[in-house]
Formats: sequence, structure tokens, C-alpha cells
Amino acid sequence: MTDSTESPDLQRRSGLRRLKEGTYGGFFAACAAVTLLTTVAIFVTLLSDAVVFFQEIAIAEFLTGTNWSPNPAGGGQAFGIIPLLIGTLTVTITAACIALPIGTLTAIYLSEYASPNARSILKPLLEVLAGIPTVVYGYFALVYITPALKATVFPEMSTFNALSASIMVGIMTIPMVSSISEDAMSAVPDELRQAGYGLGATKFEVSTGIVVPASISGIASSYILAVSRAIGETMIVVVAMGAQARMPAVQEAIFGIPYINPADILLESGMTITVAMVQIAQSDLTGGTIPYDSMFALGLSLFVVTLVMNVISDIIAERYREEY
Amino acid sequence: MATDNATDGGFGEVSRVRGIVFEYLSLGASVAGLVALGVLLVYVAIDAFDLADASPEWLLTYFLTLVVPFLAFCLYSAGDRAVTRRALGVLGGGLVAVAALFTAVEAFVVEIPRLSWQLTYLFVVAAPVTAYLAYVGSRGRVGAVGFGLVGRLVGGAAIGLAVGTLFLVFDELVWFLAYTLGVFPAAVLYAYGRWRSAGRAMTAAAPVGLVGIVAAVFLRGVIATYPSDLLIYIWTLAVPIAVVGAVVVDGRGSRIAAAAAGGVPLAVATAGGFLAGGFGVPGPTALIVLIAVGVPTAVYVHRAIDEGDGLIGLGLPFLLVVGALVGALVVEAWGVPAPDPWLDVGFVTGSPSRTAADAGLYPAIVGSVIIIALVAVLSFVLGVGTSIFLEEYTAESGLIGSLTRLLQVNIANLAAIPSVVYGLLGLGLFANLLGLGFGTAVTASLTLSLLILPITIISAQEAIRSVPEDLRRGSDAMGATRWQTTKNVVLPEALPGILTGTILALGRAIGETAPLIMIGAATTVFSAPDSLFSKFSAMPMQIYAWAGFPQAEFRYGVVAAGVITLLVILVGMNGTAILLRNRAERGN
Repeated sequence: MTDSTESPDLQRRSGLRRLKEGTYGGFFAACAAVTLLTTVAIFVTLLSDAVVFFQEIAIAEFLTGTNWSPNPAGGGQAFGIIPLLIGTLTVTITAACIALPIGTLTAIYLSEYASPNARSILKPLLEVLAGIPTVVYGYFALVYITPALKATVFPEMSTFNALSASIMVGIMTIPMVSSISEDAMSAVPDELRQAGYGLGATKFEVSTGIVVPASISGIASSYILAVSRAIGETMIVVVAMGAQARMPAVQEAIFGIPYINPADILLESGMTITVAMVQIAQSDLTGGTIPYDSMFALGLSLFVVTLVMNVISDIIAERYREEY
Repeated sequence: MATDNATDGGFGEVSRVRGIVFEYLSLGASVAGLVALGVLLVYVAIDAFDLADASPEWLLTYFLTLVVPFLAFCLYSAGDRAVTRRALGVLGGGLVAVAALFTAVEAFVVEIPRLSWQLTYLFVVAAPVTAYLAYVGSRGRVGAVGFGLVGRLVGGAAIGLAVGTLFLVFDELVWFLAYTLGVFPAAVLYAYGRWRSAGRAMTAAAPVGLVGIVAAVFLRGVIATYPSDLLIYIWTLAVPIAVVGAVVVDGRGSRIAAAAAGGVPLAVATAGGFLAGGFGVPGPTALIVLIAVGVPTAVYVHRAIDEGDGLIGLGLPFLLVVGALVGALVVEAWGVPAPDPWLDVGFVTGSPSRTAADAGLYPAIVGSVIIIALVAVLSFVLGVGTSIFLEEYTAESGLIGSLTRLLQVNIANLAAIPSVVYGLLGLGLFANLLGLGFGTAVTASLTLSLLILPITIISAQEAIRSVPEDLRRGSDAMGATRWQTTKNVVLPEALPGILTGTILALGRAIGETAPLIMIGAATTVFSAPDSLFSKFSAMPMQIYAWAGFPQAEFRYGVVAAGVITLLVILVGMNGTAILLRNRAERGN
């Protein structure tokens, strides 16, 4: 590869060559600066429009309002984030109920039980789950999962519902949990396992009593990352969950204790923060209107929440990592 | 803990049941997601190809003419009696087991919609066995030659089509001038410098090329008459590719072989280009595809003949083509009812339509190809530049050190930001503030490049980090500067890893939908985009639009065909990435 022109220049005195070196170094530094600029640009873009929005709508009204209708037919806009939060929380919690146990068990299997051969096949296959485009998952949920659930378990389910979407979000996030947790479990030194066996523990006891507690910080940070991914997931919910910002009906149980029937949320359509953004984007893009600005306010909330979760996950992974 | 049991003096009894149950539970969890995805993919495939309406005779015909010869080829290549016995056992035993189990479930438990036991057998037994045998067969010499040839045919066609698509947007006349004035003289200078080892000629190549390209952009507005499209493509694409092929062969074999490897594909492609118009295929596309298929194939065939081992493998493409033809003939002759697949030539080359039967994906495919090409260039340059800076140009400590750590944390955080937020960035910054337009290819490419940049950087960093430190120190000891070490030692070693990571990241970009919606990309456009600033659609956008149609033909037919098209392209890209990585690992 070495060109004949590149005779060694041990003194480093040649001006042209130093200029060349400096140019390349500067170019690479500029590339690296793009990543920083991206973060700044995201923050500034979101903030500048969000500030305009909060001049029109008070922050308290935004955070506590129970009605979301940015483009009503008859007038009377309302920008309350509570129904969107309910939708987002529903999807996130349901997806976590699927992804966290399955992902953890998968990580335990891969790190403790699987033969090297099985691991080398299973690990790339699991990554496929995260590589499928999310719009395809949404289509699966709408066209196959919902009819299947309707035909078997929940006949009263509506065409667009939170449950099918959440199941798909859960399946999609399994590899996030399993790969990070598995890395943490594989990092547990073998001496700890051998010590467990030496005390007469079974493989089950070593796996659940030694390996899992020793790698708990990695597992926890994988959970947080998976949940933050589920919060920001867009296309699955847009396609499969519909777009109705609803407050679930509060019912009264015995002794007048108010409760919400989970079926009212899960089997009906709903709206997450991301769906609300997509819905506005499809009608209103030129800027200068309150709905346009509200999109950026929602984006800012999403950005802050995922950023905070990511930082917490980092701190947990760093701070509580067992040093071996 | 087991020690609790041992307090009464002995070792005590430890139940194995709990451990065994847990092991199988965790195994089940590992495959649960995969099984769910597999079932869904089977249903999509059935819908896209209308296999639910395929008669058992039709399935049997193609199974016998296409699948069985292919399996025989793989078994011959593997040349392992144990594998043959096992494969035949699984195929035969699976037939009985699936038929019995499926009938029993249908009879006693629940009716399974849109599946028959024949289809179940195909997907559950035949497909995995075929994949396994293809893997085993590819490790034999005959199979390696055969798969290599098929890979070049398919890959060449895909690349040729993609390049042809790019010229729908980029002005081929500018390219003609830039090639004639810039690229061609530069290449000649460089080749002359290499040949005569004249350093000055090689140094002059880059400035000459740049000046030529700049001149071409200016001259485009001045010069009015140009040769025909076909002549331009022959001069700027077909001839150089043929020359490269000839040079590669020349390095290994005789002059005659080299002339044949370059000349025959060139002649065939030129003839094809001029004749294609008669068949309703655009001449330039036919030319580009034929040259992209022909030259790598010719080079590969020459190498296989040169090595003289496993030549039978070269017959694999003929085996497959003849099998498909015989199958079609039998189906035609006996009047076997054939399914009417949604995913056919008309779907890939047609425009979207209100009626399901006429709906096509062509404009969306073109849009996706153009965006991905731009994203590939942008994210590769930015990603490699950043990772070189982080890995080669920074210090561990001091101000630069903390700056590096800040960049590192920042990149990790960027990777976790939801894609819909990147869409807002594209909308606010590129579309509204910079005025690049709503839903244009430029806005989309910039947005998606920033979206996948963190992934590209992280994988490129890993690739660069895996280059042994000794190589760098060796280069430094020869008096090389930092850039010379990077260019001559680090990048060549890390390139396969960087390419693998970039292609995988591009796979992520091609399926992204939410950012495209946010920047106002059209869900449906009826003609392919003709410039970087025209409205465009992309495959996932079109899928999203169709999934909202209430008609069953769209939900269960057209969308399924679109999903399969998207997934096939994804699998092709990821497969290329994995092949690259495996080859690099074997090389080391």
C-alpha cells in the first residue's frame, strides 16, 4: 500500500507535509464535532419551538390536562398530556411484562446453560428480532395478532388496541434485555461459580443465587434501556394501536374504592406521546401554529425522559458494577 | 441453598426437578420470541405468494423440480454419508410426523387458518433442512463454487439495478463530462504512475481528477449536444468495468483469458443494451445489469477453471433455472391450478394504485434506493472520520482526554434517542430552517444519516480498536506520520469490520418510518422521483400507507408483498455484511 512518494520524514520539518497532517486531523475532528452538534441541534430545535408552545399553553395545563385534541373539528383545542401518558405507560408496562422476564431468562440460558454451539446460533438470531423494521411489527400486530386474539381470548377486542401493539413492542425489545444482561452475566468470573459448586450448590442455585445477583447492575441497566426504547417506539403503536386519546372510565368497586378495569385500556385503542406527534405531523408541517409547536413540546418530553433514563442506566452500570 | 439441606449431618438429597424445569423454561424463553416471529413470517409469506390457494399438486411439482435437485446438489457437495442419511431421515420422518400431528390438531383441537399440512411441512421441515444443507454444502468445494457463482449473478443484478436507479435522479450528462474530463484522465495517470513507478504521475492524479470534475459541472451548462444515453453508459460504465475485470484476470492468467473475461461480457452487454428496447426493457438498464452481472461472473468462472476444482458447481445456476422451467412446463401441461401471487414482476415495477390488483411498489423502491445511497456516503464518511479521531488522534488524559470522554458519552446517548425525535430535528432544522423542503430526498438522507451515525461510529470504533497495536508501532518506527499510519496500516486492516458495521446500520435506516413521517415524506407517490428535491416515498412509508387501507386485499395481499420485498432487501444487505465479516475473519 505504501506509495513510493512517502519517504520517511524523520525531522517533521516539511511544511507541506505538516499542512497535510493538520488538514486530515482537522477533518476528523470536524467529523467528531458533528456528533456534538447533533445533540446541540436536537436540544435547540426542540426547545425553541417548545418555548413558543409554553407561552401559549401553561406548563401546568400541559402536564395536568386530561384532554388531548390538537385539531378538533369544532374548535376548542386542548393540550393535556395525561391521556398520552396513560397510553405510553400502558404500552411500556405491558411490553416490559413480556420483554423483561423473557429477556432475563434468555440471558441466563445463553450465559449459563447453552453450549458454545447453541450460543453462536442463538445470539445472532435474537439480534434479528431487533433488526426487523418496526412498521413491519406494527403490521403483524394489526393483521395477525389482533385477529388471533379476537378469535380466541378476547372476542370484545377492538381492531386497534393497546395489547397487540404492546406484545410486539415486547418481542422487539427482548434482544436489548438479553444481550446486555448476558454480557454482564458472562463477565461474572468463573471462580464465583466454582465456589458455589464447591459448597454443594446445584446449577440452578448457582445461576439464580450467584450469577444473577453478581450481575444485577448490568441487568438493571438493560431493563432501563429496554423500557426507554419502548417509550420511544413509534411505528408499532401508530399502526396497531389507533389514534384515540382517551381517559379510561373510572369505576367503583365495593366500598366505593375507585379502580380502572385494565381491559378498558388494553383492549381499546389509545394514543401514546409518539402517536400524537405522528398524527400532528401528518396534517400540520409548515410551522407557526400551536399544534406544530406542541409536537416539539412532546418531543422535548420524550427526549428528556429517554436521556434521563439513559443516564440513570449508565450510573447504575458504572456505580454498582462489581469489580473483579 | 443446598447447604441448608446438609445441616443434619449428611449431604442430603437435592431435587433435580427444579433445575431441569428451570433449564427448559429458560430455553423456551430464548426461543419464544423467535418462534413467534417465525410463525408471523410464515403467514406473511403465505399471504404474499398466495400459497393458501396453492394446490398440493402445484407444491409437489415445484418441490420435485426445484427443491429436490438443489438438495441433491448440496448433499453431493457435502459428500458425507452421515449427513445424507440424517437429512433423508428428517425429511421422510418429518413428512409423516407433520401430516399426523397437523391432522390430529385440526381434528381434535382447533382449526388452523390458511395452513395445510403440506405447507406446514414445507416451512417447518423442508425449509430448515434446505438451509442446513445449503450451509453444509457450501463448505464443500463444489458447493462453494456453485454458491459463489449464484451469489455473483444475483449480487451483480442487484447492484446493476441499484446503479441504474441512481441515474434516474443524478444527471447522466454531468456524470459523462465528469468521467471524461476528470475520472478517466486521473485513472490513466494513476495507472501510468503505478506501471512506470513514476511518483509524480500518481501525485498529479487527484488534482487532475478534481479539476476535471469541477470543469464538468461548469461545462454542463455550456455544451448542448451529447451522445445517446446508451453510448454514454457504454463509455462511462461498461468499458471501465470490463477493463477492471480484464486487469484482474490478467494478474492471474493469460492475455487471451483476460481479453475474453473483459470482452465477452462487454459485447453481450452492448448487444443486450441495443436489443433490449425491442422487448420493452429500457436499454441503459439492461446494459448496466448485464455488465454488472457479466464481468464478476466471467472473472469468477476464470478463477474456478484456473483452480480446476469443483467445476461441477458451476452448473448450479443451470440446475435452478432448468428446474424452474420444467416445473412451469409441468404445471402448464397438466393444468395444475397455480396460485396467483401478490408479489410478482408487476408489483415490483408498477405504481401504487387504488385497486389492489394493480398496486405496485416501484416508486417507493426507487425512493428507498436513492435515500440509502446518500445515507451510505454521508454516514460512512462521518462515521469513519469520527471513529478515526476518537481512536487514533486523541489522548488518554488532559483536556483532549476529557473532550474524548464527553464525545463518547454523547455518542452513547445519541444512540438511545427515539427515532421520532430525529424526525423533529429534520423537520425543524433541515426542512424549515435550512429550507431543504418537506419530504425531499435530501432532507430524508440527512436526517437518517444523523440517526444511524452513532451506530456506525460505535461499530467502526470496534473495528479500528481490533487492529493490533504492534502494527501501528511498527509503522511509527518506520517514520510514518500519524495519517500515513492510519491510511496505510489501520484503515486497510479495519475496513471489512467498518463496512460490516456500516451495512448493518444502513439496514436500520432502510426500515425507519417515523422520521420520514415527521419530515413530511409522502406516503404514496405515483411516479419515481426525478431529482433530489422532488417528493418521494420509501418502502416503509408505502407499507404504512397500505396497512391503513381497510380492504382485505390490501391488508392480506399487497402489504404482505411489500413487507416481503422490504425483508428480502434487508436480508440481502445483512447477508452481505455477514459474508464480509466471515471472509475477513478467515483472512486473519
